Amino acid sequence: MGGNYSPRRKPNPNSDPAVPITNTKKRTAAVATTKRKSGFEFCKVCKLNHDKGQRHKYFPNHKRSLSEYLNRFLSKLDDVRYFLDNPSPLRPEHVSRNRLWCVFCDIDVEELDSSFACGNAINHLAGADHLKNLKHFIWKYGGAMDHLDDFRILDDDVAKWEKKCETLKKEVALSGEGSHGPICVLSNDIQNEQNYGIVENFSNNSVYHRHENFLNAVMPLQYYTNEYQISQTGPNGVPYTCGASHTSTFSLPMEKDPEVFLQSSSGSTGNGSMRCSSLYRDTNKNFVSSGFIGDSVGGMMNGDSSYQGLQLLTEISSSSQGDVQGNVHSGAPPPWLDASEKSQTDNHRQLPSVSLISPSNKPGKSKKLNPKRVGAAWAERRKIEMEMERRGEIIKNCNDAEWLPNFGRVWQAGSRKESRKEYEMEKRKLPSVETQPEMPTDVQPYISKRMRRDVSK
Amino acid sequence: MAYLLNTLTRKREVDSVIRDTIDKVLVLRFGRASDAVCLQLDDILAKSAREVSKFAVVALVDVDSEDVQVYVKYFDITLIPSTVFFFNAHHMKMDSGTADHTKWVGAFHRKQDFIDVMEAIYRGAMKGKLIVNCPLPPERIPRYQLLYKDI
Repeated sequence: MGGNYSPRRKPNPNSDPAVPITNTKKRTAAVATTKRKSGFEFCKVCKLNHDKGQRHKYFPNHKRSLSEYLNRFLSKLDDVRYFLDNPSPLRPEHVSRNRLWCVFCDIDVEELDSSFACGNAINHLAGADHLKNLKHFIWKYGGAMDHLDDFRILDDDVAKWEKKCETLKKEVALSGEGSHGPICVLSNDIQNEQNYGIVENFSNNSVYHRHENFLNAVMPLQYYTNEYQISQTGPNGVPYTCGASHTSTFSLPMEKDPEVFLQSSSGSTGNGSMRCSSLYRDTNKNFVSSGFIGDSVGGMMNGDSSYQGLQLLTEISSSSQGDVQGNVHSGAPPPWLDASEKSQTDNHRQLPSVSLISPSNKPGKSKKLNPKRVGAAWAERRKIEMEMERRGEIIKNCNDAEWLPNFGRVWQAGSRKESRKEYEMEKRKLPSVETQPEMPTDVQPYISKRMRRDVSK
Repeated sequence: MAYLLNTLTRKREVDSVIRDTIDKVLVLRFGRASDAVCLQLDDILAKSAREVSKFAVVALVDVDSEDVQVYVKYFDITLIPSTVFFFNAHHMKMDSGTADHTKWVGAFHRKQDFIDVMEAIYRGAMKGKLIVNCPLPPERIPRYQLLYKDI
């Protein structure tokens, strides 16, 4: 009775509130809760208003959008986790970029007064409120309860992180004097050896090592501060578990080094840092970050350039080419001028064939001829043939004496092909006449009736 | 005046000119150099050949040569001068209110008439039409009588 208009077996309780509900007992509970005039809710996962109530979270569309939604957030969380394992000091200029929007709590977690990257975020994710909101979200929007821990940070981890931060702070305080202002933090392993060495003299070996650390951690840092954009490239559409592998790639070369923030601290940071990140991004989580480590370890870096600009510029060996051809300083003509002369001669050579092939290539006219024009297909074929003839591949076969063009005859009823056939037939019928053409005289257009009568007789 | 234009006497030449004219209207005048009307037409053709050269090619076919009798028969040429139009080796017809749409019989009154006809054919061909309407008013179209199954 309820399902008059639709073939559904179960009538939708929300569709027509005026209709008396004749549902089975199973649905009474749902009915009771959702039976209202305008029972629309907003699903923030699908960004959709719906009136399906609790059923909505089981729909496949919703499930899909939910997984995407959570994946996105998870990738951002991965970055935070990275800093959980490797706390690094947060510079004031990066603060504005270090925000995190927590989708469960619907709040923006800023890093206004934290001394470490993602400090506030870590604290938030470990908090009880966050957990509560997380559970509520999962109840409301579905999703797996067993993945709860993916979206929060456990207290143990926070404790570890805090310890690391403490050590970092101490080291900073210790080495703060001798530096140029940058905060040099060293790995735990070599702390004793090169503690002051790095700060005082930037010798090559320390540069190497520092670069390694530098590379290892700075790049991911930049990665992070680029507003999580890079994280989008990663695990989109990939199930959550891949997040773990993502972080693991970070930790590989890590050796648990807390980080050297050299780069950001020096004056010209912006560019360098960006460059690092882009390089990193290109290699796409292949942490070897090919060119980079290769350069530094291979010793091509000279300490000066890398230190002063702190931009890790790679030197290109241009000495071989530059001298021969001359350059701006030697007054040689620019390469494009020479090139254009060459290209002009090339064009001239090519022009004749081009112009023959496409004689309709006129300026002020659309280059492409109407493909629907008369005989277009034939024209294309013919052009190719002519091109090949020009190149000498096909010998022009002018021996086709029987070829006749496509012609629609005067007294003809059928298609144009018929005209050829008719003609062939006529030819066969009157072989003798063909040899001796009898042209009508130079007639004036008008032929009098008398003449016509004579002829027909 | 006809010496300015190509005069073709062999079928082979006619074939080659038909096949080699790509994306341009081909004007084949079938006639005789000694005929008065032909001369008039040739004059107009010669003068305007250059102006329409970007989209048209003009050629004269001597109707007296034996080799081209094939075409004379094939195209049903009974009155001269007759002008047949081709585009990409396809024959273009024009409805000028006369009996024969497959060719233009007679001369043109003015250069501009010829150019108008050329233009109409070209536009139609580019749009893919095999038959076009004549842009000339009826008084400027030479009239003639067409005989059915002439000699």
